[in-house]
Amino acid sequence: MDETVAEYIRRTVLKIPKDELKMMLQKWGFLSEAQLQTLNFHQIKDNISQEVVQLCEENSADIKQAAVLDIIYNHIYQNKRMWSVYQMKKSGEELEYFDITDFKKKFKRRLRSALKNVTITFKEYEDNAIWIRVAWGTPHKKPNQYKPSYVVYHSQTPYVFISSSVLKSTLPLLCQALIVASNYHDIREMELRSHSLNSLKDIVFKRYSQNFQTCSPKPLQGGNGEPENADTRIVEENRSEKERIHRLNQRAFGSGPQPKLEFAQYRLETMFKSDPKMDVLDKKEPFRCLVKFSSPHLLESLKSLAPAGMADAPLSPLLTCIPHKARNYFKIREKGGLYPESFVSP
Amino acid sequence: EKADPQKTAFLLRKAWTLYSVTPLYGFRRARLRDYARLLGAFIAAEKQKGLAVEVGAELDIKVALSSLADIRGSELDQAALLVQLSSRSRGSSRSSEDKPVWWGWFCSVFGDELSESVPEHFTCLPLFLSHGAESYTALVGSWFQKTFDCCFRRLAISPLNLSWMVAMWAGCKLDRAASAVELVFSVPCLAQPLDISYAIHPEDAKVLWDTVQKTPGEITQEEVDVFMDSLYAHFHRHFKIHLSAAKLVKISTAIASAHCDGIVKILHSQYLPGVLMLLTELAISQIQ
Repeated sequence: MDETVAEYIRRTVLKIPKDELKMMLQKWGFLSEAQLQTLNFHQIKDNISQEVVQLCEENSADIKQAAVLDIIYNHIYQNKRMWSVYQMKKSGEELEYFDITDFKKKFKRRLRSALKNVTITFKEYEDNAIWIRVAWGTPHKKPNQYKPSYVVYHSQTPYVFISSSVLKSTLPLLCQALIVASNYHDIREMELRSHSLNSLKDIVFKRYSQNFQTCSPKPLQGGNGEPENADTRIVEENRSEKERIHRLNQRAFGSGPQPKLEFAQYRLETMFKSDPKMDVLDKKEPFRCLVKFSSPHLLESLKSLAPAGMADAPLSPLLTCIPHKARNYFKIREKGGLYPESFVSP
Repeated sequence: EKADPQKTAFLLRKAWTLYSVTPLYGFRRARLRDYARLLGAFIAAEKQKGLAVEVGAELDIKVALSSLADIRGSELDQAALLVQLSSRSRGSSRSSEDKPVWWGWFCSVFGDELSESVPEHFTCLPLFLSHGAESYTALVGSWFQKTFDCCFRRLAISPLNLSWMVAMWAGCKLDRAASAVELVFSVPCLAQPLDISYAIHPEDAKVLWDTVQKTPGEITQEEVDVFMDSLYAHFHRHFKIHLSAAKLVKISTAIASAHCDGIVKILHSQYLPGVLMLLTELAISQIQ
C-alpha cells in the first residue's frame, strides 16, 4: 500500500470520534466484519488508527477506497464545512432522463481533460443526493488529498452545493465539469452560504413553512413561549401590542421552524439620512457600510427581536426576505433617492 | 512626546489585557535588576510547588525589568515599566536563544490626577497591560502585590467609553488606506444570541464625525452622542432594529481596537500616547 495512502487513512481515522469509529468503518465496508472484530476500540486513538492502517494494508487499500471513507466522514460531519449554493440553467425546457453512469463518465472526462492529476470519487445517498469528492493536483504533482472539494448534487433539481477547496483556481473547473456532465448550459453562484447543508436545502427546495398572508388574526396562544400570568390580578397593558407583534412575526416568518443559517451580510451603499434635527451629514454620496448578523440560528434570533422589544414589528423586509429570496448576501443601493423604504438589491 | 518607534514597536498589534493598579509602595527605579532576580526566583519556586504554568519542565523562565522612558505623558508621570518573561531551554546559557513568552507593562500617561494625590514613597503607574498566558500574569501580579502592597483589578470598558473611543479614533487623520470603523454589538438575552457587526468605510465615518465635531481638538459627550445616534438611525432605517438597545462590546478602527472585557490592540504608533492617555484615565477612575 502506498505510504501516502496509509498516512491519509491514518489521519482520517484520527479525526473520527472514538464512539463513532466502528459505525463509520462498517458503513465504509472496506474492512470485513471479521477484521473489525479484531480492532480494540478502547485504546488511545493513535493506536486504533495504526491498527486500522494495518488492516487496510492487508486488503491493499488504494486512494480510491480511502477517498470513500473521507466522503462518509464529511457526509456525517457536513456541518463542519461551509457550503455555497449554485444554480444551473438549462437552455431548453426538456426534461431529460438522468443517467447517473453517463453523469459520472462525463464529469470525470471533463475534469481529466483539463487536469491530469485529480482523484474523483462518487457516493450516492438516499435522498437523490450524489456526493462528489475531488482532490486536485497539478500537471507535475499528485493530488493533494487534504484539500479536496466536495459537491452535493441533487439530480432532480438544478441545485448544486459546493464546499470549495481552499485552492480557489479549482472552482471554475469544477463548475464546468458539472454543467457538462448534467447537460445544463450555465451555472451561477447564489448569494447563499451556510454551514448547515440541510438548511440550505430547506431554503432552495422550499421545504420550510413559508410566510403567507393570514386574513384573520390568530388569538395569542400560550405555546410560543409566553408564560401565562398565573395571577389574574396582573393585567397586561400592552397585550394587544404583543398580539400585534406576534401576528406580524407569523406573517413574516411563518409558523414553522426556520431554516438554520448562521449569518447574513449586507453591503449598504445608501444615502445617509438621519433626523433633520441632528444637523448631521447630508452628503450626496452613499454612506458605505457592511453589516453582518451572526447567530447560531439567525432566523430564530431575528424572529425574537420584536417580541423582545429590540426591533419594530414588522421587521424589515431586508431580513425577512432571506429564506424566500434564498440568499444571505446582499448589496443594497438606494432607489430613486426619495423614499427610504425603496431599497434595491441587485 | 513622541516615543521612539523602534522601542515601542513591540507594543503594536498585540492584544493587551488591561488592569488598573493602585500605587506601588517602596518601589525604587534603581533596583530593577534586583526585582528581576527576585521575581525570577518567585516564579521558579511556584513552578516547583506545581502551581505554575503548562510550560515543560525543561524550560527556565528568565525575567527582565526595564524602564520605557519615552512612554509617559508629562514630566509628572513615571516612566513606564516593562516586565518581560522569556523561556530558555535548560542547558543553554545564551540569552540570544531566549524566547519571549509574556509581556506586562505599567504606565501612566497624563495621570497627574492620581500622582498629585498620593503620599511619599508611592509610585503611580495606574495602567497595566499584559500579553501572554494568564498563568504568568497571575504569577507576576501576585509577586507585585506582595512586594509593593498594591492591588490589580481587571479594567472593563463600558459601552459609553467604547463609543468615546470609536468617535475619537474615527475622526483621526490617517495617511494611508485605513481599515473600516467597526462596531460590534451583542444581543445575548434572546433564545438564540445575536451578534451584529456594523463596519463603516473609514472615509465616510470620518466625514460624518467631521460634521458633528464643532471644535477641532475638543470632544464633548454631546458630540459623541450625536455621532452614535446618527449611526443608530441609519441602521434603524434599513433594519428596523434598535441598536441602542443592544450591548456595544467591541470597536475597531485603524488606530486601535477595544473590547469591553478590557482588551485593547494598538495599531498605529502615531496615536499611541493618545490611546494610553485615555486608558490611563479609565484606570484611574477605577482606582478612585
